[in-house]
Amino acid sequence: MLRILHGTKIDFIRPWRIAVGITVAFIALGFVMLGVHEARHGSALAQSIEFTGGTLMQLEFQQPPDVGQIRATVDAAGFPGSEIQQFGTDREFTVRAAGQSNEAGQGVENTAKRIQTALEQKFGTNDMKVVRTEIIGPRVGKELTRNAALAILISLGVTLLYLAFRFEWRFGVAAVIATGHDLLSTLAFLAIMRIEVSLTVVAALLTVIGYSLNDTIIIFDRVREDLKKNRTDSLYTVLNKAINETLPRSVLTHVTVAMATLSLLLFAGEVIRPFSWIMLFGIVTGTFSSIYIAGPVLLWIEHRWPRPHGERRPVMQNAAAAPARPAGRATAGVR
Amino acid sequence: MSNLKYRLAIIVGLVLVSAWALFPRDVKTRQRHADGTFYDTVTRRVPLRKGLDLSGGMHLALDVDESKGVVANKSEAIDRALKVVRTRIEGMGVSETIVQKAGNDRILVDIPGIDDRERAIKIAQDQAFLAFQITDKTNAMEKLLPRLDGIARAKGYGVASTAAAPGAKAPSAGLNGLLTSDSAKGAKPDSAKADTAAAQATGEISKLILASPYQMPGEFVYDSKYDDLLKRFFADSSVIAVLPPGKVVRFGSDSTVVQGATYRFLYVLDERPIMTGEHLKDAKPSSSPLDGTVVQFTLDNEGGRRFQRETAKHLKDYMAIVLDNVVMGRPPVIQGTIGTSGQITMGQGRDLQAAQDLSLVLKAGALPVPLKVAEVRNIGPSLGHDSINHALTAGVIAVVLVVLVMLVYYRFSGFLAVLGLLLYVLYTLATLAGFDAVLTVPGLAGFVLSIGIAVDANVLIFERIREELDRGKTVRTSIEEGFHHAKSAIIDSNVTTVLTAMVLYQFGTGPVKGFAVTLIAGIIASMVTAIFVVRTFFLLWLNRSRGAQTLSI
Repeated sequence: MLRILHGTKIDFIRPWRIAVGITVAFIALGFVMLGVHEARHGSALAQSIEFTGGTLMQLEFQQPPDVGQIRATVDAAGFPGSEIQQFGTDREFTVRAAGQSNEAGQGVENTAKRIQTALEQKFGTNDMKVVRTEIIGPRVGKELTRNAALAILISLGVTLLYLAFRFEWRFGVAAVIATGHDLLSTLAFLAIMRIEVSLTVVAALLTVIGYSLNDTIIIFDRVREDLKKNRTDSLYTVLNKAINETLPRSVLTHVTVAMATLSLLLFAGEVIRPFSWIMLFGIVTGTFSSIYIAGPVLLWIEHRWPRPHGERRPVMQNAAAAPARPAGRATAGVR
Repeated sequence: MSNLKYRLAIIVGLVLVSAWALFPRDVKTRQRHADGTFYDTVTRRVPLRKGLDLSGGMHLALDVDESKGVVANKSEAIDRALKVVRTRIEGMGVSETIVQKAGNDRILVDIPGIDDRERAIKIAQDQAFLAFQITDKTNAMEKLLPRLDGIARAKGYGVASTAAAPGAKAPSAGLNGLLTSDSAKGAKPDSAKADTAAAQATGEISKLILASPYQMPGEFVYDSKYDDLLKRFFADSSVIAVLPPGKVVRFGSDSTVVQGATYRFLYVLDERPIMTGEHLKDAKPSSSPLDGTVVQFTLDNEGGRRFQRETAKHLKDYMAIVLDNVVMGRPPVIQGTIGTSGQITMGQGRDLQAAQDLSLVLKAGALPVPLKVAEVRNIGPSLGHDSINHALTAGVIAVVLVVLVMLVYYRFSGFLAVLGLLLYVLYTLATLAGFDAVLTVPGLAGFVLSIGIAVDANVLIFERIREELDRGKTVRTSIEEGFHHAKSAIIDSNVTTVLTAMVLYQFGTGPVKGFAVTLIAGIIASMVTAIFVVRTFFLLWLNRSRGAQTLSI
């Protein structure tokens, strides 16, 4: 039997301060980057045209073209300030013209037509093809932004309800706070990498939420079971034991998911790349938060709002063995 | 072991159902002819249709255009517009088109395989309001010109470009001047120009509008380079306000070339149409040696009677055929009464395709509300093809890696899990086909990802079985306990993911919806395979190696 990390007795919860310090620093860095982007680009998060409205064209050239020429052509067509970006290979580029304020009639459509005509005249229809065009009116963008925000909030709410129903509310709250952490850290990741937020990225974000919750629930499920079996151990001990017991499973599952994600990142093409980056980061942050956020938060809640007398059990084994008391605010009371 | 027999029967049954769901087959559907009768057609239904981002094609979102007036009941108007748009799009002869209402005020159109963006937009969006209007006989324009000049000066409609453009001829000859000189004998634009060649444009509209060389009342010509300017000018509300009551100004689709300069037509028409397109019964493209490409139309009986009555009143008048406020071709003179049939001249440079498209939109009827394009996504077929190849590569590599990990780590049990994974792929695809889901790029990514996630349930169970074995339980008990204890974790963790995916489905659009569906189908299939199928495999193995003391896990 090939075994990894079997029968470990690592005190995972103990260095929670360091872990929280790292993640807070990371998130803070992300938010600093948001500010930097806001100052430099005028938008904190890079948003796809699905959200901003505007026109995006993907061009495919026979020969690697001169980016300056593309830019000059698009500028001359009457759209200065358009973004020209390489998309995958050096023969593929995207042109993104700013959103238009007038939505009347065919106004939305005109931009694409004019850019395409100008480019085709410059490069010739044999050497350059427009392989994709997306034109999004401003109203659609606003609706999508609202829908994306709603989707994230509702999915958090729905999971909280389900967890409260299936587990005990303390577990539900801890799991949702851990998930909230994942959302924040992924946001920080988006800001640091300056990944363009598109609908696919929102989908990835929600998948990360689901995946991270999945991980938290596996551990909590074990805690729930161990609590029933063993009525004397402190929650601290039970939690640590549950994490250790589920460790081989965690490692193996994360490895297989990471393999699938890596093959997406490396082989599935440019369109799916942002999605893959976020999933890859999600695996890391999801694992991290299941142990270092969900666990300590559960302990803290347990400490602040202890169970009724009948099922009371010590939160900590003993105060000396657990210096890493996960309840900073309640210190005075414990002492 | 009857229990085992049932289990095997269910698995085999699921495999058969899945295979059936995944085979393309011919489906009989009822379709409706344009005249309302039904007929049966057999279409080949291929499961797992490719979304537009994979097949290439075009996605359109159309909103009610309220720039020209508020629409009272949008939802109801959209319902009526939906029927019209659907008839038009289905008439394009592309298979698998989708036309549906989204929300209260939006129509979504999917046309696979089409690459001509502008043509598709035109077909979907053209209002196709057809009207027959008599050209003005009261010299309304001539009387109006001084006031128009006043407005042009006040509002700064100028033609500064004339002086700036080097080598540009001064084409503008004042209509006023033209009328005072002898213009009764068909003043051609060129001769008019010769008369007043010295008259430089001074920003006065009247100098741009020339009398028609064809002596048609209410018809005027202008140099095509002032097209934008004049169109803006006549759309100005203060210009519309000074028009005599019952008269409208419309531009023509046709143009004429005189001495290298292109002239376009402008008409003053009676506002009241003598006939509209609502009585139109049929329209088909045709070409005639005299008029070029035309669309021949037939009116219904009531329309025919009315048309006959009205044309009798307007003998020798010119009748403009106005489509969406553009005069099509040049207005013909009414020689005698017209009954149920007539034709629309397309104008120069319009090919048979344009006539076909016009017939299509005319037959489908006018849109009850003007629509505007809110969103266009157009993906070339080559890009879609690349996406599929990429996703396949990534999928195959992911599967190989996952299978390797499972075999190396869990040996025989891993092999059982891999068998389960095979069935998982089959079930997922079949579930997708059952939902009539559309494969999209994010959907494929979701599927590849779900292969990695799918083994999680197996891993949970196997780790649990190992723990039970460690506690010294027998192989059979360990397997029983392992499956039993892992179940709650598997279900709880998957239900939350399904809930999230459902939210995503509700709020997502197109490709993202595809992703959500794939995720849901994948999770359900992975639970079924891990909890039920793989367990059956274990039971089967236990049965065959009765009394096995060790398990390769």
